[in-house]
Amino acid sequence: MPQLAFFSAISSFLEATHAATPTLAPLHLLIGILAPAICALLIAFFGSRLPLGATKAIAWIGFALPAWCALWIAGTYGAVAQSGEYQFLWQADLGLSKLLGIQLMLGVNGISVPMYVLAGIVGLAAGAYAIGSKVERQPLYLVLLLVMQSGLMGIFSSVDLFFYYFFHEFALIPTFILIAMWGRTLSSRKTVAMELTIYLTLGAMITLGGLIGLYVSSGAEAFNLIALQEALATGTAPTQIFLMLLIGFGILVSLFPFHTWAPPAYSTAPAPAAMLHAGVLKKFGLYGLIQIAVPLLPSGLAGYGGLLMWLALGNVIIIGFVTIAQQDLKRMLGNASVMHMGYAFLGIYAFSVMGAGGAVLMMFAHGLSVSLMFLLADAVERRAQTGDMREIGGMAQTAPVLAGLFIAGTMASIGLPGFANFWGELVIFTALWQSPHPWVAIAAVAGIVISAIYALRAVARIFFGEPKAELAATGDLQGWEKWPAILLLAALFVVGIWPRGFSEHLDAALAKQYPVKDVAVPVATVTDQSHAH
Amino acid sequence: MNDLSSLLSLILLTPLVGAGLIWLLGNKRGNLAAGISVLVAGVIMVASLFLLYAQWGGEPYHVAMPWLELQPFRLDLGFYLNGVSALMLFVVSFVGFWIHLFSLGYMADDSRKARFFGGLSIFMFSMLGIVLAENLFMLFIFWELVGFSSYILIGHYLKTQEAASASQKAFIVNRVGDFGFLLGIILTFWTFGTTSLPELAQHHSGATTAMALLLFCGVLGKSAQMPLHVWLPDAMAGPTPISALIHAATMVAAGVFLLARTYFLFDETALTVVGWVGTITALCAAIWAFAQNDIKKVLAYSTLSQLGYMVAAFGFGTLYGLTQGEGHGHGHAVWYGLGAAMFHLTTHAFFKALLFLGSGSVIHACHHEQDIWKMGGLFKKMPLTGLTFLIGTLALSGIPFLAGFFSKDAILFVTKEACFPAFIILTGTAVMTATYMGRLFYIAFLGKPRSEHAEHAHESPWTMVLPLVVLAVFSIAGGYFAQLPIYPAAVNEFLGQAVPHPSEDAEMTMLIISLIASLGGLALAFVIWNPKSERDALAAKARPIWALSRSKFCFDEVYMFYVNQIQARVAGILDTLDSLIISGVGTRVVPGGIFGGLGMFFRRLHTGNATAYVWWFFGGVILFFAVATRGFTSLF
Repeated sequence: MPQLAFFSAISSFLEATHAATPTLAPLHLLIGILAPAICALLIAFFGSRLPLGATKAIAWIGFALPAWCALWIAGTYGAVAQSGEYQFLWQADLGLSKLLGIQLMLGVNGISVPMYVLAGIVGLAAGAYAIGSKVERQPLYLVLLLVMQSGLMGIFSSVDLFFYYFFHEFALIPTFILIAMWGRTLSSRKTVAMELTIYLTLGAMITLGGLIGLYVSSGAEAFNLIALQEALATGTAPTQIFLMLLIGFGILVSLFPFHTWAPPAYSTAPAPAAMLHAGVLKKFGLYGLIQIAVPLLPSGLAGYGGLLMWLALGNVIIIGFVTIAQQDLKRMLGNASVMHMGYAFLGIYAFSVMGAGGAVLMMFAHGLSVSLMFLLADAVERRAQTGDMREIGGMAQTAPVLAGLFIAGTMASIGLPGFANFWGELVIFTALWQSPHPWVAIAAVAGIVISAIYALRAVARIFFGEPKAELAATGDLQGWEKWPAILLLAALFVVGIWPRGFSEHLDAALAKQYPVKDVAVPVATVTDQSHAH
Repeated sequence: MNDLSSLLSLILLTPLVGAGLIWLLGNKRGNLAAGISVLVAGVIMVASLFLLYAQWGGEPYHVAMPWLELQPFRLDLGFYLNGVSALMLFVVSFVGFWIHLFSLGYMADDSRKARFFGGLSIFMFSMLGIVLAENLFMLFIFWELVGFSSYILIGHYLKTQEAASASQKAFIVNRVGDFGFLLGIILTFWTFGTTSLPELAQHHSGATTAMALLLFCGVLGKSAQMPLHVWLPDAMAGPTPISALIHAATMVAAGVFLLARTYFLFDETALTVVGWVGTITALCAAIWAFAQNDIKKVLAYSTLSQLGYMVAAFGFGTLYGLTQGEGHGHGHAVWYGLGAAMFHLTTHAFFKALLFLGSGSVIHACHHEQDIWKMGGLFKKMPLTGLTFLIGTLALSGIPFLAGFFSKDAILFVTKEACFPAFIILTGTAVMTATYMGRLFYIAFLGKPRSEHAEHAHESPWTMVLPLVVLAVFSIAGGYFAQLPIYPAAVNEFLGQAVPHPSEDAEMTMLIISLIASLGGLALAFVIWNPKSERDALAAKARPIWALSRSKFCFDEVYMFYVNQIQARVAGILDTLDSLIISGVGTRVVPGGIFGGLGMFFRRLHTGNATAYVWWFFGGVILFFAVATRGFTSLF
């Protein structure tokens, strides 16, 4: 097949970077988890005796190393894995193996690589933003974010389900503390943090119950995904476990009507915590459904798919309208994030390689775009001294770079082609047509109009018109605000113009576990005209 | 890999590279940005002309490579060049360059110049992507991107409220159209297993009316057909060169181009619907143009009306072609619809770009005055602008032997054959077209200046006048593809095959009809709006007619009612329910009771120390884990 000059050049460049040797790969997975944890410990123990600059330098290392590991893994994975299988497997028996079948087992497959990369990139951006911003008790702030980052890297490289769950808790607890101590509004942050804690802990408990139920009923010898897959290839597990996982994971991902924790939490949380939670940690549940629940319990999805469909439509349509009613910028973003999770759930509901693949693309893209938007919303709010969009205006003149990045981020969020989100939406919409209820595709596509309405109105309110006098002194983005945003936008853009980098391995990994839906017999390819000259 | 695909890659990617460069340079280097953008447009034009004149022989050419694969979904990146896209490539690159040049003068003093020219280059990239796209998904991608560039360029004057609301409106209304369009593409994909245009062209049995009409939704949005036409007049809030390039010559015509690309998917029912939507749009927009006083608004409604002509031409022309069958007369009868539509698209691109640029020249000279009742006598002050504007007016009115005459003639002919009532309406619309254009020209250019600004107006610089002259030449000569080498040979040949010609007997009738319609309209306008009049005679003497025209049949009011009264209320109610019932009762009151009780107990463990919470938590996890393991073992 003839290749197009420009894109084949990009392609061969990407392949050249794959040539690195893979033997060090498991080490990278371990470093990704340990580096932020060690840096957190260093700051925790020595932070009070070190100058703030040194603390920040340590934090930089703690955020940069995972990002490096993530990119290295993504590049190397392409060279070794042709079929989307688990690679770079590494395990350590921690003495729990005999008792509970638990061991620390790391590895990535075609589904987890995008999520692993997402965790690395968003972690670096959120870390850089946290290091640059002026907050009280910054060392502790950074320690908590580093602990979060360590957990995030662990979630998506764990093959063992106990550690998969464990790392989630590891990242979740600092989120509560960050909101309670550094939340936006003094009066309500403790309440919000407490509500979030109760809600998400409940979700996590249900999830854990489901995972244990899965393990026990499958009769697998070890509590890791590979063993479970082998065990369930022959045996079956009760479908009620799927419901348990669906509700548990659903709470964690803000599935309608378990979503009400999200908007207040995100509008209250300090920006880096919101970025890490909304961008990455929240994807734990969707990842669990795609990687664990659906492939292991396909009959469960068959049984509860209708429920999932209705709830996910609640996310897209009902919360879509709720988003239109929001006046506070961060609350709007929090609701918009809930709405977009509906798309990912719908992709899972479609139960096909396409649907799940679209959901993974959506998770990846949404993670980048939502953290970009929370970062920029924080920058807007700090300048305007308010989050109420009706009271802001004309900021494009006082902060043109902020305006440009905000518009680009908004466009990415609402699925403009050229950014990764578009692929997620497009593939999910297309997949839904082959779901048991094709009309769901129509309802889902209606979401593109809803999201355009609230997103563009926010842009118009904040950036158009004449600026207020007090805004003039606030100025444009500074380096520490600008570069993390550019990093996130660049990642969205790269996947936006070169989706094949991910889709190839994603496709291979999903094809082992998900059905390929029938398409009309492809028409004979046109060969007589393709070489007309 | 061969020369053709490299050349097409060059044409498509040059503007993207240009936009990237402008972005890197930042907003302070406005002149450099303008230079880059115009240079890019020049490269595109030269490369396109080179491709069409020297490289491409007229055989359909297509090339594709996979871009995204998730079984069985496959999205290709590729090019598909055939007669339709070659003609469109010519129009976009040629008209695009002259409008870029015009912008140099028009935007010379703008404070956000770099942003403007960057946006212009992004637009060129997106538009060329639509023209060259090999499949419907790829076309949709660039379709959305032109919407985005249109959005940022309409919003160029961001201090004004009009720009803020018009840019939003354009994007959202287009998304409503794209809602149907995307569903249509998805349906096409699942029906045929591909959306590749060359493959579909060969194997398209199984196309349904629903599929065609869903695809047509995209046309409704992008080409501003009723009922999604409301965004286009508002889009005039953007700078005038944008109105010329995006909202008259190229982007809004993309809908017509889409129809021409997918004509084989339309069955008779769909074609009839398409034809009538176009006819009604043409009629209504012409009625609304009478009561407009803003020079750009008159042209905007005229654009709506002419787009209606093109869409009607496609619908009725293809219907007519289907009845003729292959081999009848000359060329391909089934192409008559797309031939007439694309031909009118081409001539319209010349004369409407000319008219918009002419209005830009006037606005520039009159210090951003856009009210025609504050102009007057400009013909003498600005002779070249005046003369070229006159040529544009005559071409749009369909005066014989100018470009617009030939293309409108082809449309009226096929409509007469396919649907006589529509023919009557479109002929009546042709009279109205000549009338409102006559009104515009008499009031703005003849008579005496009605304001200070008009009094002191003088001719624009050469960068603005030269494009006017070039476009005026094409507005005269654009119809003679059969006689003169106006277009590249392959394009000429395509037009020769596709554009329907009346038989020799009918030709005379059509000529007389056109002559009466155009001259009659211009004369009627002269009677009502004498160049010397100081105020609008229609508004003064025939108030009900004027008010009807002015009301624009209340589409905007109905939509605003929906947005403010229905949508906002539904959103508000849902928001209240969300926070009251789900958040309030569901997750606070009910669990609050349970957890409150537990809390009484756990408060004893509350030490206020973060570390303690962590240990309590892990203790709980392990306890739960142990209990659950036992519990499940006994259950199953």
